[in-house]
Amino acid sequence: MYCIEASLLSKSYGDFIAVDGIDLKVEQGKIFGFLGPNGAGKTTTMKLLTTLIPPTGGRMNILGIDAIKSPLEVRKKIGVVLQQPSYEPTLSVEKSLEKYGMMWNVEKRIRKDRAEELLSAFDLVDIRKKKNDDLSIGQRRRVQVAREFMHEMELLFLDEPTVGLDPSARRGLLDFIKSKVRDGLTIFFTTHILEEAEYLCDDIAIINKGKIIAVDTPGELKSKFGREKTIKIHIGEQRDISSLLSGIKDCKIEYDSGAIITVHSSQSEQVLQNILQILASNNMTVEDLSVVPTSLEEIFLSVVKNSNASSD
Amino acid sequence: MHPVIRLVNRNLTISLNMGFVIWQILFPLIYIFVAGFAYTALIHQVTFGNKTLDYPAFIATGMIGFNIMNSTLISGIIIWNDRRHGMFEQILVGPFTRAQYILSNVYTIGIIGLVSASMITAVGYPLFFNKVEFNILTVPLVIFASITGSILFGSIASIISTRLKSSEGFNVVINTAFLFFAFVSTAFYPAQGAPPILSAAFYLNPLTYLVDVVRAGIFGYFNGLVATEMIILGFGSMALFLVATKLLSKLEV
Repeated sequence: MYCIEASLLSKSYGDFIAVDGIDLKVEQGKIFGFLGPNGAGKTTTMKLLTTLIPPTGGRMNILGIDAIKSPLEVRKKIGVVLQQPSYEPTLSVEKSLEKYGMMWNVEKRIRKDRAEELLSAFDLVDIRKKKNDDLSIGQRRRVQVAREFMHEMELLFLDEPTVGLDPSARRGLLDFIKSKVRDGLTIFFTTHILEEAEYLCDDIAIINKGKIIAVDTPGELKSKFGREKTIKIHIGEQRDISSLLSGIKDCKIEYDSGAIITVHSSQSEQVLQNILQILASNNMTVEDLSVVPTSLEEIFLSVVKNSNASSD
Repeated sequence: MHPVIRLVNRNLTISLNMGFVIWQILFPLIYIFVAGFAYTALIHQVTFGNKTLDYPAFIATGMIGFNIMNSTLISGIIIWNDRRHGMFEQILVGPFTRAQYILSNVYTIGIIGLVSASMITAVGYPLFFNKVEFNILTVPLVIFASITGSILFGSIASIISTRLKSSEGFNVVINTAFLFFAFVSTAFYPAQGAPPILSAAFYLNPLTYLVDVVRAGIFGYFNGLVATEMIILGFGSMALFLVATKLLSKLEV
């Protein structure tokens, strides 16, 4: 079953097309990563799916509800952590959680228990009496994310939720999200931090210039777009060997500080064999060698670059 | 609980901090007791309809309208604060409609206006009690003035909140509006005796109408001018409320 089904969804502002006829399907109980460079249309898509703004065209069904006809019914069943900070400056951390629960009509007794759980899960116990205005950006972000778990929901939209968080808070949040998904929650997640998407997401879509240019699991994206590998060779002596390797085809070679060669190639095995032969025939020793598989970040950059090139 | 009530609850919680309450009581008290008695040497008595009032009684009743204006301008700023702190969008992705958000602000402003009016009436009562003339119109007139005045000034603050983007601009506009409303009105001094231009300017100010209707209720004096002022207050608040609602419903997120 799909929690989100959008087809030909678009949003224009005058002549500017922010979202250009995208199709999306998000399965229930999965974490769906939505990646894209700045201004690609991620936040606009999020605003469309959360019914904050109406689309210019297309259809969208959220949790089986026609989100264009019945936006309020959709909003009653979803949670949203927007990219921009949102807080009540005069309220303390615990009061913020309590009031947010009240706004969602959560029973008083449940609010109290849930607030205690979240204060502890998001490491907010020590600052529970502090006013939001006095918190650091990271603390405020933690409160903003924690607050969203005060109410029941079937689908949670997270727009770059880890912005401003330190590494341990970030990992804590990602693990908390994973635990909620195990309990049946579906997550639509945008981020710039690709390690996060790789760690968290079951499926990933990449958007660029308002269009979705790739959708798949992180593993499939890597096997589709990540044939190129990076090889680092540390040779024993500092010597200009660029003329020796100039004849090797199907690769791009970088010579860092003379002793380290970085090779990028989609034919990595053949290229490596050729390089090692040339080095051996010139009596050069290899001190260290490593092969780095393509990261999601490189795939992302490559996919976006190709998309930009084809649209130009 | 109905969504509007939940939003009103939230609005009151974020607005009613200790500083706000102290400010709401202290500020008018200073005017009533310090200015009221200090200016008595200059303004002994003021004629209001068929009554002659001591200046402290005059200013104490003026402070009821002043406090409604002051408190509702502040609570009208809820929208500004919600936009500034991201809560406007957050509420609109929650289980609420835009109409419910707008309505909750109107109710909040109305409640704060009525409570402010009651507080100052209680505090100022010893100063004007000997002139009070309760009649069938007293309570309806004071409540009418409190509600329409609250909606009017709350709408003005809401309109300013939706139109401006920078904090500096917002502060300049709201402070300028406050100074005009507060001091170019009959809240502090009577229109009679003021230079003609200033006296005319008093009647460009909705606070004058609000204060005059409150005084009419408290001192039991009702005539054609008061009726006209009530009509202007009623239509003015309705018109400004419609403009504020329209601007709020079109506010981009």
